[in-house]
Amino acid sequence: MTARELTALLPLIGIAATSIVLMAAVAVRRNRTWSLTITLAGLAASFGLLFAARTVGPVQVTPLLLIDGPALFFIALLIAAAVVVVVLAADYLARRGTQIEELLLLLLFATLGGGVLAASTHLASLFLGLEVLSVSLYAMVGYLRNDGLSLEAGVKYLVLAAVSSAFLLFGMALIFAETGRLELAALAGLAVPAGGLHGLTLAGVALLMVGVGFKLALAPFHMWTADVYQGAPAPVTAFVATVSKAAVVAVLLRMLAVTGEPGRQLVLLLALLAGASILVGNLLALRQDNLKRLLAYSSVAHLGYLMIAVVAGGPLGAEAAAFYLAGYLPTTLIAFGVIAVLSPADRDLDRLSDLRGLGRERPLLAGLLTVALVSLAGIPLTAGFVGKLLVVRAGLGAGQWALALILVLGSVLSIFYYLRPIVAMYMQPAEDGAAALPPAPMAAGAVLVALLAVVLWLGVWPQPVLEIVRETVGRL
Amino acid sequence: MTVLFYLAGAVALLAAGLAVSRRNAFHALLYVVVSLLAAAVVFLTLGAPFAAVLEIIVYAGAIIVLFVFVVMMLNLGPEAAPRQHGLLSPATWIGPGVLAAVLLAELVVVITTAGGDAVAGDAVGPREVSHALFGPYVLAVELASFLLLAGLVGAAYLGSGSRTTGGEG
Repeated sequence: MTARELTALLPLIGIAATSIVLMAAVAVRRNRTWSLTITLAGLAASFGLLFAARTVGPVQVTPLLLIDGPALFFIALLIAAAVVVVVLAADYLARRGTQIEELLLLLLFATLGGGVLAASTHLASLFLGLEVLSVSLYAMVGYLRNDGLSLEAGVKYLVLAAVSSAFLLFGMALIFAETGRLELAALAGLAVPAGGLHGLTLAGVALLMVGVGFKLALAPFHMWTADVYQGAPAPVTAFVATVSKAAVVAVLLRMLAVTGEPGRQLVLLLALLAGASILVGNLLALRQDNLKRLLAYSSVAHLGYLMIAVVAGGPLGAEAAAFYLAGYLPTTLIAFGVIAVLSPADRDLDRLSDLRGLGRERPLLAGLLTVALVSLAGIPLTAGFVGKLLVVRAGLGAGQWALALILVLGSVLSIFYYLRPIVAMYMQPAEDGAAALPPAPMAAGAVLVALLAVVLWLGVWPQPVLEIVRETVGRL
Repeated sequence: MTVLFYLAGAVALLAAGLAVSRRNAFHALLYVVVSLLAAAVVFLTLGAPFAAVLEIIVYAGAIIVLFVFVVMMLNLGPEAAPRQHGLLSPATWIGPGVLAAVLLAELVVVITTAGGDAVAGDAVGPREVSHALFGPYVLAVELASFLLLAGLVGAAYLGSGSRTTGGEG
């Protein structure tokens, strides 16, 4: 391996080394502050190393990984989201009286897996990256061992994710049987004169999409979402909703970029998934009385919106998808972050009735949650609006009129359920017997305010980030 | 010879199906072992003797023995002795035994056929496998070790006794 290849790999090596150092430190002595310092410093250093990797340009490191603009962009998103989750989890787990060291380790592993996914150009690295991510998530979702809901969610995620991995593997086997290759580039030669794909490969790609659809919780593979989102500790839910989704979207974009124009059946399949996700997600979210479940179904719908950009394809579609994620990640982190910050020691504060009177008692946190929900609904001046605009533009550019219409319909529906928590916070008085809320921690509060600034900045002045996206992801 | 491949494949499928449909966990495990052995023979007929041996050592050897021990330990109790006696009755072992005998016959055919004619393609031995693993796939090996590490940390945490670091016990 040359120095150039190693330089390109530095961000991933940084994350991996951080996990090893942390493990050694924990083995010597358990200390919360030290563990948190090592994790945050390691993640920050890995983020810095992204710029070093950028200087060596696109590098294919062995057939497995391609460290190029898109990969670095998505790894940057993943690391930033991981840092936020660490800060949220530190305070949340302290209140719960649970040790944090293992969660930090698993989070580092999961981030590494996500980074590998974002850079993978080979079915082997795709599968390994996805498994590193998922296996870490099993334990993270069930991290509160004394909490039945958390354990149940962990087991559910374990079983369903294992089944979806089996689909993924079977799909890869079929593709290998037909083409004899495992590089993603093998999918590029699939076009036969009629414009279709070979039978076995088509089946293989369809099975791959089942696996991907499960990880992204696209309808009809969304069944696990609500239970896992509800049961997982709030910071872990934030991680599942952001890092694991963004990493899989990154690899999906890469897969479609190499498949190119001819993968028309694939596009049709994804378009169906997108439409179904938007409708199912928004309709199911209407009747939820639990904020985490509501956000879970809303994430189904949002991944549906995102799939429109993925379906549209081309540089425009990839840019729209990347920008959408750049806006969706901070917004989602704020929403789950507020839940994490407000949760008392015995359960997550996630019922809509818990939010009553929050506007008066905690104006800052209520304001944060309001902006997050408004951005998810896609109201102007927020990141969500610009993201949806770009998605619609990409969709219409690719002639996906039906999907664009479904997006508008879904957005209208979604305003209803995004308003319900806001109404509860500002227009309904607090219940008499409501327990006192825990004091808001400084670090988590500061991070949430910073995320708020990002969401508003992306909504008001998206140009600089669009430039970055165009320079990196546009070259996919 | 293609027929060997399909025969081993059929045994693998049949054993897997029987493993799923058995009500007794121990009987099911016996069929799982047979299914893994059949997969190993499939590898052998495809010209991958090294993969076949690994399959037997790792899966049929280590992992299934672990399963069997766990199942037997969970069944401990006053009623365990007569049940363990029942494990020796023909009804328990005749099915897996017949399937395993088929596989053994295939193995004998493969080994005794002159010049490796029973094997499709070139044989891929340890040398080729290690060249691949430490050449283009070296990162995959590293990633696999992180995968195992993640599983280990997760299992150690969820299984460890120390419930909390303080607060509620």
